[in-house]
Amino acid sequence: MDTQQFLRDLQSDNPDTRFAAWRQAGTAPAAVIPQLGKIAASQDPGVAKAGREALATIVHSVGKDPMTANRAAAVKGLLDLTGSDNTPAVRVHAMRLLSNIAGEESVPAIGKQLSNPELREEAAFTLERIGGGAVVKAFMAAYRDSKDDFRPRILAALGHLRAAEATELVTEAMRSPNKDVALAAARAFGRTGRKPAGQIPAVALTGTWDQIEYADSQLRYADGRAKDGDTAEAMRVYRTMLDRPEEHLQCAAIIGIAKLNTAEAASAIMPKLKSSNSKVRITAATAWKGMAAARSGT
Amino acid sequence: MPRKTRRQFLEGAAAAAGACMFDIVPARALGLQGAPPSDVLNLGHIGIGGRGRGFLRPEAGVDKQVPAPANLGGDGTRMLRPARSMALCDVDASRLDEAATRVGGRPRLYKDFRRLLEDKDVDAVYIASPDHWHALMTIMACEAGKDVYVEKPACNTIEEGRNMVNAAERYGRVVQVGSQGRSQLSAWQAANYIRAGRIGTVRKVTCWHYASPAGDWTPDSEPPPGLDYEMWVGPARWLPYNRRRTHGSFRWMIDFGGGQIRDRGAHVMSIANWIMDADYTGPVSVEAKGEPPHDGMYDSAVSMEVTYEFRNPNWTLVWAQPGMPSAELDARYGAVYWGDSGNLTVTYGDGQPTSTEQKAKDFSATCDCGKVFRSPGHSANFEDCIRTREKPIMHIEAGHRVASLCILGNISFQLQRRLEWDAVNERFKGDDEANRLLSRPGRGPWHL
Repeated sequence: MDTQQFLRDLQSDNPDTRFAAWRQAGTAPAAVIPQLGKIAASQDPGVAKAGREALATIVHSVGKDPMTANRAAAVKGLLDLTGSDNTPAVRVHAMRLLSNIAGEESVPAIGKQLSNPELREEAAFTLERIGGGAVVKAFMAAYRDSKDDFRPRILAALGHLRAAEATELVTEAMRSPNKDVALAAARAFGRTGRKPAGQIPAVALTGTWDQIEYADSQLRYADGRAKDGDTAEAMRVYRTMLDRPEEHLQCAAIIGIAKLNTAEAASAIMPKLKSSNSKVRITAATAWKGMAAARSGT
Repeated sequence: MPRKTRRQFLEGAAAAAGACMFDIVPARALGLQGAPPSDVLNLGHIGIGGRGRGFLRPEAGVDKQVPAPANLGGDGTRMLRPARSMALCDVDASRLDEAATRVGGRPRLYKDFRRLLEDKDVDAVYIASPDHWHALMTIMACEAGKDVYVEKPACNTIEEGRNMVNAAERYGRVVQVGSQGRSQLSAWQAANYIRAGRIGTVRKVTCWHYASPAGDWTPDSEPPPGLDYEMWVGPARWLPYNRRRTHGSFRWMIDFGGGQIRDRGAHVMSIANWIMDADYTGPVSVEAKGEPPHDGMYDSAVSMEVTYEFRNPNWTLVWAQPGMPSAELDARYGAVYWGDSGNLTVTYGDGQPTSTEQKAKDFSATCDCGKVFRSPGHSANFEDCIRTREKPIMHIEAGHRVASLCILGNISFQLQRRLEWDAVNERFKGDDEANRLLSRPGRGPWHL
């Protein structure tokens, strides 16, 4: 490839010439990434687009296999573009592209951006896509160093990652006096689905939506316990939901309990066959039909 | 003492009466005329712009059955049950005001959908927000105990779709996805004809559709007064406001929509998946070719041809924009089903009147077609299922699988390579980057 011609074509007045150039960017060396960053910062929106697309095409050319020879060079080039000497738009674009190809070795560098107010949202996005133990550790470290305004975002990431290693941190965060942090922690707790070493803290709930989210978190936690074979803990939580007045929480509890498929589960569901609420009744009947073996023990 | 809601009153009455209590309270008991009040569905509407407007039920007809129009998947002969659009939500105040006027009466108005979902009087919600909100709104509606009709395409990522399925299952909610073509008479006739083997074994389905717009460079600007743009963007990547990528134009951006394949593809390929009995599976490979806009701010494909290979049974699905229109029926989009002893065309599949060839219509008029479920209309089917708790015709797993086709096509297009797909585990085989694109973590607190 004639690199200089390639860079000139990306800045052509003709959109078709620019397109033809960005389409072949996958054959360009990673060494052009800094220049592509400058093209992506062009005041001409068509040229800037060509620069962005060329960067994306380079990423796609090394994306399939983590062992691809040029991948490390592409990652390094993109990490450099996230530096403060580039425009915010280019930094954000580079960070987004890192989410496609960056590996565990890049986590420390990307994790540092979690403390940068201008780039932390994109850094969190990228880390979530990378996933894995190093990412969870980076989020946990960032949580301790962050103020309350960003802690819910970190907790959301830990929940999304189903980060079992973060169970104790998340449980502690549920005790936060900051309502947003505590509720975000409860959401993450449910998604993690792991039993903490100590007591599960109660979260102070002020609004109706908080109550809905909290109940959902409890149900997810119960589902997680059931999945891990901790049927006693799952049953404890499901029973509290079964006693709630809300029809949908009763239905969710019935559905969760039915999956346990034990005699105790069948006994818990049986009274709901006579519920005055038709949705609960139908849900219980459907669950009941699927529990033939368990029912023989009731 | 706080005033009881209608539902609280009914639940209290039911509890007091014990096992003998019936579910429907006679209208006269509450001094009302027409349909019994507990037989009137209380609907909430989230997103009441272009598409969402079509779901509104004017207060004037609240206790009457009304004919279902084609844009709700009806053929004009089936009736919708009595229902009240009692709660409306939109992030754009002007749309909210307009919808309130259209509905009449005194609907409850919300700018934050969570406030609508908190409303205990709302039985079910119609979600017609931009695509990037479909998943979270559906999941959160399930968490709040609402049954859901969500517009197509169901989701923006594979991860979103699977989480929607999980939420519906966790709460036992009815979720209908708005690919209403399946509920139209012609689609049913075509399904009868093909499933009865009248064109032999189908080996190929070719869809055609016109191309997506290329777009231009419209400058960013301040959002109009009354639009909560921060909420409009929600879980998606934050971009400055631009009128050419919000409201009606969002779908030409991958972040918010995803082009024609996600818009109309979710209709045309929904019928294909239904006829081919592929609602619980997916292809083994996908390969997309085509061109994005060379200029302008849109990033979804202008032209594309996507080939999906299915196994057990073996068949090929092709989405082409533009593609080869049917020789049999004149329409702007549709699909041809190629069997080893004939073929059949089915056109449209959305709010346009779906049609098929006369031979399928004639066959369905005389056959014993009980094996293929005939929907009473898409909204009517949804509202029936709210009562029976059965799965609707375009249940969320089916919706997720159709959206998956659209998403896989776009990923292959973006990466410019053929991809192998494991439809059971919903992962690509041997492609690290493609697998990362199965998830798009939400912005801020808006997470799955």
